[in-house]
Amino acid sequence: MKSVNKTIPSIDGKGLMMGRPAFTDDLAEKNSLIVKVLRSPHPFAKILNIDKSKALELEGVELILTHEDFKRNSYTRAGQGYPEPSPHDKFVLDEYVRHIGDEVCCVAAVTKEICEEALELIKVEYEVLNPILNFEDAIDNKSIIHDEPEAHEMFPIGFEPKRNIAASYKMEVGNTEEDVKKSDVVIKQSFYTQAQAHVMMEPHTVNARIDYLNRLVLYSATQTPIHVRRILSQTLEFPLSRIRVIKPRVGGGFGGKQALHGEMLVSAVTLRTGKPSKMVFTRKEVFESSYSRHPMRFDITLGASKDGMLETIDCYVLSDTGAYGEHALTVFMVAGSKVLPLYNKVKSVRFHGHVAYTNHTPAGAFRGYGAIQGNFALESAIDMLVDKLGMDPIEFRDKNMIKQGETSPIFAIMGEGTEGTAMNMESCELEFCLNRGYELINWKNTYPYIQVSKNIRRSVGMAIAMQGSGIPYIDMGSATIKLNDDGFYNLMVGATDIGQGSDTILAQIAAETLGCDTSQIIVYSSDSDLTPFDTGAYASSTTYISGNAVYKAALKMRQMIVREAALAFKVDESIIEYDGTTIKADDKEMTINELSNRLYYNEDQKQLTSTESYVGTKSPPPFMAGYVMIDLDTETGEVKIVDYVSVVDCGTTINPSLAKGQVEGGIVQGIGMAIYEEVLYNSSGKLVTNNLLNYKIPTRKEINKLTTEFAKSYEDSGPYGAKSVGEIGIDTPPAAIANAIYNAVGVRITSLPITPEKILLEMKKREGEKR
Amino acid sequence: MVKHIIPNSLSEALDYMSKDEYKIVSGGTDLMVQKRAWAETPPKFDQNTIYIFNLMDLKYIKKENNKIIIGANYPVEKIKDFKSTPILLKKAIEIMASPALRNLATIAGNIGNASPAGDTLPILYVHDALVKIVSKNNSRIVPINEVILSVRKTCINKDEMIKEIIIPILEFTKTSFVKVGGRKADAISKTSFTGAVNVKDGIVKDIRIAFGAVNVTVVRKKEIENKYKGLSVLELQSRINEILNDYEPFIKPITDQRSNKDYRKQVSLNLLKEFINNL
Repeated sequence: MKSVNKTIPSIDGKGLMMGRPAFTDDLAEKNSLIVKVLRSPHPFAKILNIDKSKALELEGVELILTHEDFKRNSYTRAGQGYPEPSPHDKFVLDEYVRHIGDEVCCVAAVTKEICEEALELIKVEYEVLNPILNFEDAIDNKSIIHDEPEAHEMFPIGFEPKRNIAASYKMEVGNTEEDVKKSDVVIKQSFYTQAQAHVMMEPHTVNARIDYLNRLVLYSATQTPIHVRRILSQTLEFPLSRIRVIKPRVGGGFGGKQALHGEMLVSAVTLRTGKPSKMVFTRKEVFESSYSRHPMRFDITLGASKDGMLETIDCYVLSDTGAYGEHALTVFMVAGSKVLPLYNKVKSVRFHGHVAYTNHTPAGAFRGYGAIQGNFALESAIDMLVDKLGMDPIEFRDKNMIKQGETSPIFAIMGEGTEGTAMNMESCELEFCLNRGYELINWKNTYPYIQVSKNIRRSVGMAIAMQGSGIPYIDMGSATIKLNDDGFYNLMVGATDIGQGSDTILAQIAAETLGCDTSQIIVYSSDSDLTPFDTGAYASSTTYISGNAVYKAALKMRQMIVREAALAFKVDESIIEYDGTTIKADDKEMTINELSNRLYYNEDQKQLTSTESYVGTKSPPPFMAGYVMIDLDTETGEVKIVDYVSVVDCGTTINPSLAKGQVEGGIVQGIGMAIYEEVLYNSSGKLVTNNLLNYKIPTRKEINKLTTEFAKSYEDSGPYGAKSVGEIGIDTPPAAIANAIYNAVGVRITSLPITPEKILLEMKKREGEKR
Repeated sequence: MVKHIIPNSLSEALDYMSKDEYKIVSGGTDLMVQKRAWAETPPKFDQNTIYIFNLMDLKYIKKENNKIIIGANYPVEKIKDFKSTPILLKKAIEIMASPALRNLATIAGNIGNASPAGDTLPILYVHDALVKIVSKNNSRIVPINEVILSVRKTCINKDEMIKEIIIPILEFTKTSFVKVGGRKADAISKTSFTGAVNVKDGIVKDIRIAFGAVNVTVVRKKEIENKYKGLSVLELQSRINEILNDYEPFIKPITDQRSNKDYRKQVSLNLLKEFINNL
């Protein structure tokens, strides 16, 4: 292969490094009104009165919008396919505020300083209500967070707002309760995960203007421009045909930009005033007023036979969606559907639970999307079971995990909000990943631990993981390829490059198929007027779904070129030979440049354009084994990550360097969730960790060595054998590190993040028990 | 009306300060954070401020008579690179914040800010550093433990400014500085331990111990140190429990966003124990 499975630099990398204007805020109109939001100081309150008179007197204040300015159209910001599996429980502005940082009203003014002064002059009277600050107390609490009659579900998702339940679900294969009774060895344990923040470098940013056609044009740092356009139109009741959403370069998303954030208010300001406007979230707003990962509690019961066969898995999940139910059902279901099939030999499996509303910052989509939470719980519990069985963790997994050609009944039962799709694992190199990681981390000579010095124990731990590749029969991508004079191409895709490099790998797929150099493919992505439909960058779908669409469109373009060449040579298509640059038939020869110039300037004049789409009929999972080596300081409880070995099966790596970047970026974010990123609220519901000093993501100094390898694997249904790679990297670190800590000092930490404080406390307790 | 003054010389600065009360800013690494407003807007200084960052007459480092003398404006990153800087101070600076901040931060700022978590402070205590404080008509030299009175409280008067820090160069055979923070860069310490000994022929001639972030000021107890001077290393190690008991009452950390008091206390004592056991 010429272009695929080759490392080339990101096509946008150099320009971005040179500081070319490319990001949303670079492209705002210079005279934009600044839009800022007055945010709630209370976790739950009814707004009785907003006195904006003083603020309106301030020179330079253009407009103040409150809930009274909007029709009560409930919607969801989630940014998913339509109809959404998330409850419609949000208004552009509401008379209730449901978390600290929720929107009260918004000011548009000529400068940021005037905007801020105006915010201070607005006097709001609140009736403070009893907040729910603990998700375990939420269901059937006296306080009801969504009592408004307009809140509704789009189809049954178990939405019971009077009970503070945003969604619920239950499924069972076999009879888990009976099988637990029959099992020789049983483990029962609860696990807790925290509300991790995305910490993308570019904060949420959007701007708007009315163009010369009297249409609303937005630039937005979004992962879902097509959904943004639809949701804006439905909610503001402004015709879809008069909205254009452009996604320029985006400085990271990780799921945090799947939903809508500033788009509604900026559009409303521009539509009311006719003037351009813009909004850039402060870092505090990103923390408090966008959304986080869903915190969850898992109550897991595992049953196994004496000879080490896992018989049954029972899993109850309580998830905290915060003030609004974005992705409430789907993240919670993925905590089962992208974790439980790993152990497909069980006789029975049950997965059930609820998603509760609380008065915390809402939760939403985040790389890993439930799978990382579920992986921490299940892979920790598996190690507990293995310990009780007296077995080796690798041997147990090898015996019980899913392998090439096998399936799990869960694939057919559980989808994302709906039923799933049955499939066999046509490409599954998990066994290779397990064995290769074992060698690379030097498990044999390290497990369970070695004493490096008086107070340092070096240990290893591991976990296996799977993800998906898009949502079958829902996620749709399409691509248009246009041949230009002189023989280069435009590739137009709805797929959304948010820094992960999708424009580059889609160009590589097109170049491979067309036989040309990647530099001949000029990619334009995500402009709702110019590029074809794509659901957006989420659910690990771009390489597989959009990649397949590009492959099909390129194949069609190639056929068109051959047909035109046959016409020009006056021969039959079957004798044309075309290598991507030169077209040959018998003794005749012509380059693609000559053919295209002929087509556009001289003879048989016509524009060649091909468009194809792709919707997945299955979601082939990428797999990985994650092995960690840690040094645990028994004096301080501090954990140093010595090496993190990832062996990944993502099918063909279209661009090995970008694929490695995806895996390693995921690993570091996973390490952050595992041991650094503590989320603290004070007793009145205020997020304490709302800045980058208090909220600690790992720095370069925390990451010592990452060892990343890819298994040789080929997924027949993927473009050139590729599966997804965007999320799989994040899943294993919490469980692998928790297991390594257990292997080092024998304490099992069941809540994230695993801080030195927790480790030392458990070590002390354990010493007390021994005495 | 708040005044912002950028003086051209130390005497001009002191002249202003003799007339009005000013907040002194050199690198601003503490004050810019304490006074921060919205993102991308200037910090909200609500009192008179004097900026000394360009005063070259405070920007020096020199070695004189077995002491190093550091001007108030001299950034810590350069102090770290100065060849005569004591090894403990170099260790403490290496793990401070991040390179960008270290190019602005000063030791005088660490003293003036008087946070119990100030990274260089335990080192100054262990070295019995002296602080030269000047005003328009006066000058005095005060030991570090008398300069810092409590959390954010110092003995420096309204018209006074730190001119230089005088650090005696001492002979140690083993030193240890351990900072326990949430991560390795850009983190304020949960607790820190500083230890230094001078052992000759198996006899502990000198031992100095300091703890950061576990009380209102840095904890250094000379009376405890004196009790154990003159012992052999083995004798010292055999009395480890007694040493831990001696220090225990002075380690009174708090629970806050960074950590909790039980962890801080336990870890501080663990680090002391480790230091003594590894002599």
